[in-house]
Amino acid sequence: MLKKHPLLTFTFFGFVLFLISNRLDELRVYQGATVAVYVIGIASIILLTGYSGQVSLGHGALLAIGGYAAALVRIHYNAPIWLTFVVAVLSAAVGGALLGLAAARLSGPYLAGTTLALAIGLPSIANQFPILGGEQGLFFDIGLPPASLGADFTQYKWFFWICWLVALIAIYWLRQVMNSRYGRSWRAVRSNDVAAELAGIHVGRNKVLAFTISAGLAGLAGALLAMTISLVSPGVFPLALSFSLATGAVLSGVTTLGGVMIGAVTLVAIPEIALAIANRFSGSETITTNLPGLLVSALLILTVLFVPNGPLEQLRAKRGKNEHSLKK
Amino acid sequence: MNQFLDVFLIGVSAASIYSLMAISMVLVWRSTRVVNFAQAGMALLSAYVGYELVARVGNFWIALPLAMLLGAAFSAFIEFVLMRTLQKHSSQGAIAAIAPIIATLGLLGLIRAVIGFIWGHADVQLEAPLSKVGFKFGETTIAVSPMSLFVLLFVIVLMIIVSLIFQKTNIGLALRASAYAPEIAQLAGIRVSGIRTLGWAIAGAAGAAAGILQTVNGTGSLSPESLEFSLLLVFGFIAAVIGGLESLPGAVLGALILGLVLAAVQIYISGALVFIVAFLLLLVVLIVRPQGFLGSKAGRRA
Repeated sequence: MLKKHPLLTFTFFGFVLFLISNRLDELRVYQGATVAVYVIGIASIILLTGYSGQVSLGHGALLAIGGYAAALVRIHYNAPIWLTFVVAVLSAAVGGALLGLAAARLSGPYLAGTTLALAIGLPSIANQFPILGGEQGLFFDIGLPPASLGADFTQYKWFFWICWLVALIAIYWLRQVMNSRYGRSWRAVRSNDVAAELAGIHVGRNKVLAFTISAGLAGLAGALLAMTISLVSPGVFPLALSFSLATGAVLSGVTTLGGVMIGAVTLVAIPEIALAIANRFSGSETITTNLPGLLVSALLILTVLFVPNGPLEQLRAKRGKNEHSLKK
Repeated sequence: MNQFLDVFLIGVSAASIYSLMAISMVLVWRSTRVVNFAQAGMALLSAYVGYELVARVGNFWIALPLAMLLGAAFSAFIEFVLMRTLQKHSSQGAIAAIAPIIATLGLLGLIRAVIGFIWGHADVQLEAPLSKVGFKFGETTIAVSPMSLFVLLFVIVLMIIVSLIFQKTNIGLALRASAYAPEIAQLAGIRVSGIRTLGWAIAGAAGAAAGILQTVNGTGSLSPESLEFSLLLVFGFIAAVIGGLESLPGAVLGALILGLVLAAVQIYISGALVFIVAFLLLLVVLIVRPQGFLGSKAGRRA
């Protein structure tokens, strides 16, 4: 169904989400919105790593660019909400293009180290500029949901709708891009850049393009993340966020977009599971604060060691459907 | 003139710790072709172990070498358990290039969580064993204290020991050979996998020393989310990259360049710019001379 009628599938999925959103309590709706944010963030990493073979440990920095850009146009120009997202995408894409120009010359560990440095440093850089609100950050308020949706339509449900609508459109579009000429070129560059170059693909330009699109998506995720917590500050985009996105991408399997939900749901579910476990052990605070990190890291290491290409690819390999990987 | 002297002294003192970090990254890179992003976590863990040992033994001078030994053992253990399994399972496909990077990141998270479990999230204090007040020459106080002087001397002694091991012993020869050409080294009868573990062990000891010295020479406080250690990782990485990621003298040279440049920025311009300058330096080196300044043949021999 997904292969033949992607648009129909996405619409159906959106409709199911719409039905679900009416039946959940506030906390679950908020978590649902976070899943949508992670879906976009993870998709941007999958595009970069799985499809163009570049590593970024610093996507949190690009999310921050998007979040701050959205908040700034909202505060200073009172821009409508869709416009804040457009600005977020564009400004993060510009940042990504600049980074991509440097990144295209770097390989593996060098690129990882450089982007890691950026993610560590950017929050402290944001503190230097008064216009960015320093440590407290900026308030990012998109206003109340439209009155036509009814009086008991909550703010979080509004966030949920916006996040999922944006996420579905973004993933649908990304899917189209990956199945287009560009997607094929990226995969060619990833598998063998020398062969790709001989086949007439401009390797450097393709890498920069992939980085730019990935950064744009990251900026979008950053704006949505800022929206759901109504705030942009250095603390919203910590190093842990960059790591979470990388973790989510690995859990989803970096070579396919199809598993993106697995990583996103896991990232949101793990703190919940950890809390449940901690409550069993009399709710000790040490367990509550440290267990999520422990679970995520352990899961990450185990995935890399034993299911390196992600659960979906593993299933496919088991079923012996090798023609799929050949088609790519 | 006085300011210039301060730049030099602060720069060299900072560089001594960066160089330890850079050396441990270089050693790991040479032995397994992995940039160990968990190095900061391992250094942090060693600093906590040092804190615990000081509390138990009550003597910093015993705790420091003990913590270094434990750091070496832990690092060797990681290579033995994690890196060998990794090489077996994910050696092909798109993931092969990023699997080690992701694995070390996971390790970093794991170490931080374990530290949180054992020592909690509140800061703990590792007291400096020596005075941190600068020496006085007449009226002026210079930027060298007994503590930072000890750090510098200790690092120099460690450097001499490491280069003696590498240049004068059979083990050093085996380490150099396996880094330069693993297959040929194997054919020549060197047990390359064991040598790799040894490389990680030396790196672990150097990283442990970096972690403890950074703490006692700095604020003395430790926390699992310490930004100081993340910065130490980045500066160690930058120093290693300036030196070419292959060469031990290169790592020391890179640390010196980085330390002096950052000290100059801090004193002449503003402390807020330190990170931006370090990042720009990294970008410039990577774009202008990606193989580093000592990354050619000369580096491989060392």
